Amino acid sequence: MTEISKGRPFLEVFSAAMKENYRFPILEIFAFLYAFGTFIFAGLGATVAQSSETFAHGLVNTLTGIPLFILLILIWANVAYGLGNDIEKGTIQTLLSYPLKRRTVLTAKLLSALGVSLLLFLGIQLFALFLLTPEITRDYFGTIALTYAANLSSSLLMAGIVLLVALVLKRGGLALVVGIVLYFALTIVSSMVFFLAWTGTELPFKAFALIYPNMALDRYYTGAGSSPFGTSELWVPSFSEALGYIGASYVIVALIFLLCYVYFDRRLGI
Amino acid sequence: MSLIVADDLAKSYGKVVAVDGLSLRVEQGNIMGLIGPNGAGKTTTIKIILGMLRQDRGNVMVFDQDPWNNPDIRHRIGVIYERAYFPAHHQVLEYLKRVCRIFGKPESRAREVLALTRLEDAHDRSIKALSAGMLQKFAVAHAIIHEPSLIVADEPTANLDPVARSELLDLILELHKNGKTTFLISSHILPELSRVCESVAIMNKGKVWASGDLEELSVKLGARATRVSTDKPGTLADELRKLQYVNRVEADSRGVTVAANLGEEEKLYEDVPKIAKKIEAKIAGIESGTASLEELFRLAVKSDSERGSPH
Repeated sequence: MTEISKGRPFLEVFSAAMKENYRFPILEIFAFLYAFGTFIFAGLGATVAQSSETFAHGLVNTLTGIPLFILLILIWANVAYGLGNDIEKGTIQTLLSYPLKRRTVLTAKLLSALGVSLLLFLGIQLFALFLLTPEITRDYFGTIALTYAANLSSSLLMAGIVLLVALVLKRGGLALVVGIVLYFALTIVSSMVFFLAWTGTELPFKAFALIYPNMALDRYYTGAGSSPFGTSELWVPSFSEALGYIGASYVIVALIFLLCYVYFDRRLGI
Repeated sequence: MSLIVADDLAKSYGKVVAVDGLSLRVEQGNIMGLIGPNGAGKTTTIKIILGMLRQDRGNVMVFDQDPWNNPDIRHRIGVIYERAYFPAHHQVLEYLKRVCRIFGKPESRAREVLALTRLEDAHDRSIKALSAGMLQKFAVAHAIIHEPSLIVADEPTANLDPVARSELLDLILELHKNGKTTFLISSHILPELSRVCESVAIMNKGKVWASGDLEELSVKLGARATRVSTDKPGTLADELRKLQYVNRVEADSRGVTVAANLGEEEKLYEDVPKIAKKIEAKIAGIESGTASLEELFRLAVKSDSERGSPH
């Protein structure tokens, strides 16, 4: 048997996935959309910049809005149409005919589908922040990083669910539909739980913050406020509570991805 | 030495039983055909052997290792699927070079296999632009690029035209002759398999009903046939059917194919001339031979209902 480094086949599968996922002009178009969405809002933010944690948090929330949706589209395309179709059509059989563990193949595919998309997104966002609001970015980098972490966990959760659906049903298109439905369902649910919280029922809001922890972080930074529907005050978590919500959301994300790995590694028949 | 040993394999998809107590051995240096009708369980068996599917019951060892848990054995296995799918946006040569790097082979090997499969002219074409036949040739190039000692092929000729089929079978014979490569080839196109296979396993309803080399199987299934060329095939066939030691008679326009019970074939050489004289038929020739793969397959499947259990 030929002795070769274990890392080489992994890198080749990763590189092949990169070529398929980001063939011209996909990477260029998404990079432009990220940059366009980011710089427009970063530019506006820079004109009213204030030196405070709350402003830094709000600035990141503003910056992530449209680019985060673009990130989701790219991740869905890569996971559902990329990996999902690989399984549906049989390309994964070819990849599994190489001397690689199943989990290594999945890691290579996910690094390309998720890792590179995330790097591109974060790279452009941080570049814009450092370029247009350097002082705020430097002074409140912890707040900025935490806000990104809180914003990204729900996207990663949706990516994990789309991946799980693609693996179990072996249908890329169906996984994409599930992702889109899930996105809109979560958008509607977030409005509903907010409304309930304003009317005094906070439990759904707190539960929802487990999968969308930026709601908890947002409440921490924006602080108490009067309800437009009555006298009750909206829940304001402590900083450690907000951190706890972010941590819990990543535990949920990790569990979903672990489930995907276990299923792919031990159960998935190709 | 057995490169593949499968014992009592079973696999179901919900209520559909695809493989049901299958046992199989593929010896080193052999070209074994896995034959059976559509839905016999051939592809499922091959996927279990390749570690793509996990069996519900039984054991399978390839190179003495469980294929599901030991991806390293894939250094020694080449795979050709009925419908091959590759990362579509790569160019032919570019992807083969990548595969060379995966298996630790020099990149020059990519051009060698393109020459072997007569795909040199398509080296700069995108994989997605290849025709079905070219894609199958590419799959063959991909399967042999790391010089595996075992090639597992599932319906490898299914998408090929007759010329390409013949070329692929020639290539299989060449690889077998030069590199002593062992093959397990599933197909339902029997004449092709009979051209290359040294032994066969006949599958139906998820089981192997008979296996062995063609000669061995002919004896096992009582299918050693004697061909009698005559001008009165119908009358001769009717007379031969009256003989107690004859178990199968088929007439066509040029003669009769007759199978006798094991050990009693020689009696035909005595009785056929006598019967021909009686019915005033001319005998142009009598010769014994191994049954065709089609005959063996038909007999094995027929035994499904008659005997109720596989060989």
